[in-house]
Amino acid sequence: MSAVRYRDSTVVDFVVVGSGAAGGVLARELATSGFSTVVLEQGPRLTPADFEHDELKYWFLGAITNSDGRSPQSFRSDPEAVAKPTGMRPALWYARTVGGSSTHFTANYWRFHEIDFIERSKLGPIAGTGFEDWPITYAELEPYYSKVEWDIGVSGLAGASPFDPPRSRPFPMPPLPVKSSGVLFERGARKLGLHPFPAPMAINSQFYRGRAACISCGFCHGFACEAQAKSSTLFNMIPEAEATGRCEVRAHSYVVRVDTDAKGRATGVAYLDRAGREHFQKARAVVLAANGAETPRLLLGSASARFPDGLANSSGLVGKYLMMNYSARVSAVFEHELNEYKSVQVTRVIHDFYDADPRRGFYGGGGLDARIGPQPMMWAQRLGQEGPSWGSAFKARLREFPRNMIVLGHGTSLPVASNAVSLDPKLKDAWGRPAVRVTYKDHPDDLANARFMQDRAVEIMDAAGAQRVTRSPVAEQNFGMHLLGTCRMGNDARSSVVDRYHRTHDVPNLFLCDGSSLVTSGRGQPTMTIQALAFRAADHIARFARAGEI
Amino acid sequence: MSDAATGDAAAREPATAVHTRRELLESALALLGVAAVSGFASTRAVASEARGSTALRYFSSGEAATIDALVAQIIPSDDTPGAREMGVARFIDHALAGFMAPLAPAFRLGLAEFELKCRAQHAGAEGFAALTSEQQIAWLQQVEHTPFFNSAQQLTVLGALSMPDYGGNHNGLGWQLIGFEDLHAFTPPFGYYDRDYPGFDAAAGKS
Repeated sequence: MSAVRYRDSTVVDFVVVGSGAAGGVLARELATSGFSTVVLEQGPRLTPADFEHDELKYWFLGAITNSDGRSPQSFRSDPEAVAKPTGMRPALWYARTVGGSSTHFTANYWRFHEIDFIERSKLGPIAGTGFEDWPITYAELEPYYSKVEWDIGVSGLAGASPFDPPRSRPFPMPPLPVKSSGVLFERGARKLGLHPFPAPMAINSQFYRGRAACISCGFCHGFACEAQAKSSTLFNMIPEAEATGRCEVRAHSYVVRVDTDAKGRATGVAYLDRAGREHFQKARAVVLAANGAETPRLLLGSASARFPDGLANSSGLVGKYLMMNYSARVSAVFEHELNEYKSVQVTRVIHDFYDADPRRGFYGGGGLDARIGPQPMMWAQRLGQEGPSWGSAFKARLREFPRNMIVLGHGTSLPVASNAVSLDPKLKDAWGRPAVRVTYKDHPDDLANARFMQDRAVEIMDAAGAQRVTRSPVAEQNFGMHLLGTCRMGNDARSSVVDRYHRTHDVPNLFLCDGSSLVTSGRGQPTMTIQALAFRAADHIARFARAGEI
Repeated sequence: MSDAATGDAAAREPATAVHTRRELLESALALLGVAAVSGFASTRAVASEARGSTALRYFSSGEAATIDALVAQIIPSDDTPGAREMGVARFIDHALAGFMAPLAPAFRLGLAEFELKCRAQHAGAEGFAALTSEQQIAWLQQVEHTPFFNSAQQLTVLGALSMPDYGGNHNGLGWQLIGFEDLHAFTPPFGYYDRDYPGFDAAAGKS
């Protein structure tokens, strides 16, 4: 727990909102750089002893997520329609706990490729979208990708994929043991002339930096790791930040507003404690790392006379260009048991179809991986939706559980301005704050790409000798866990919210760094890149602070 | 109990039951997130106390008989145990009385309609539970696309495969059916196909 305590009235160097994948990194980097830092987290602080293999609790009862009923959201696919409350299930799902979504992620940690940052230049514009180059290149981010691998802890095999971008260091740990799904995927992919490689995972394959090796329990996706083998910021960045004696992590602190002074500079943030009492933490600079849904929500909710459309929103782009990635799914049944519920979710990946290819007739590309399909309750629910749902036929299908695997095709989402996070005019959360309103409709190319990826997945499973292959319908999404693009970075203040250093164009001492910063969607698996951005942002923010340029 | 498991009275809000099959089908997570309403600090503890107890907490005995017969058709008992032996009806009763209470009113209405229509079509029968298995199957084929049946089906899955402390999955019979070993950790090989894996060879794909 935090050794240092700051008073709200103490003007700390930085207040960081959010303690997840990005917030944890920023806190650790700023604190180790010598700055007093307060991290505010809306959720509780849990320990490994709190985490358990309880699928009902984690997937259906919202144990650590915003599906606990307190944070309702509304959804619409048509920007002209009135958004409807989604019920208890939000449209944009994330973990609300110290460590954020890095506590419950699957931990797929491939890097974005060089092309991801310069795609617009290579392919040209795409009508009706905000398809743009990033203001930074892969080469600028590369050292920070390596830093993620070594400081956060990533297992993998350098050079295993011929499509891998250049890297300055090998992985600090070898890949995790292959699973049956990985062996079959590798076999099928190689028959087709493709290039499978061991999945880079933010999970320890051996004892690393004080944390245990994975015990292969199988409960990664949607669960928190009681072995601390998953490289969640709760287990590495947060305690390291606190160990500096300069960082306080304050749980149950729900930030509702960023305030500014007469000069238009941020003065700190207002937040509600567990009892609903409002406090104000003063700070010399504010860093929002609250995720791609909550960061724009906070800016829009901080509108004032000086900033009537929301803070840092002179471009009008706060909340816009929401991207969620599309994961096309294929399930396959084999003759013998795979027991995919054991061990980590993914062990083999291909990137042969990563790059967009204009000859396909649409923009898009992606990676395919072999994985668990998923744990029993979620698996059985989906089974009933895609085939017989009752009677002897259903029971026979339930028995196929150990012989089942899935292949996911992780694809692109184009940035479309009408896909957005905004404030619902009516719906309120449990604290009386305007709820997140989500507007989302997949671009036709996103769906075409999903079908393309699904076709490739079917081919691989057929080549691997599957007895039966089932496609999940490719349909417009109304649910996402990759919350990207809603405060995009760019060099032009008219077409982006933050600059290349994550400083908002409008408020000099306000920085944003999380999934909202992404300019394009990559091909899924964004957390690795979000953390590389956070390490890079922290370097620059610390540099500005030391130079008195904040 | 951990912080996350603490119910928060301020967070309580009206139930938002999912009403259409379309919505249910669109989302494998349709039931996700009903906990805040009932506060699930004690969910499993309470469920656990009642474990083994046959006392009904939500349904009337008539409703319980219908549910028991219904879940037994969703996962039938044959050469291996089905939903009946797994205690699924008890799970649903406990869930609707507690941590899934928001779904209860809509579910109860659906159940009443299910029975009413069943009786209307089977003159003289004492309801769904009293029909022969063949008659039950024929009737379910008529109603299998209703929101009520869909909710019952989903709750059956949850009751069969959740931790036994919640009242279903009696003695792990649900896990036994699907071949899930309830162990805390595993070591390779995990399945048939990774037993004799020779090790990753990047060059193997380049020949």
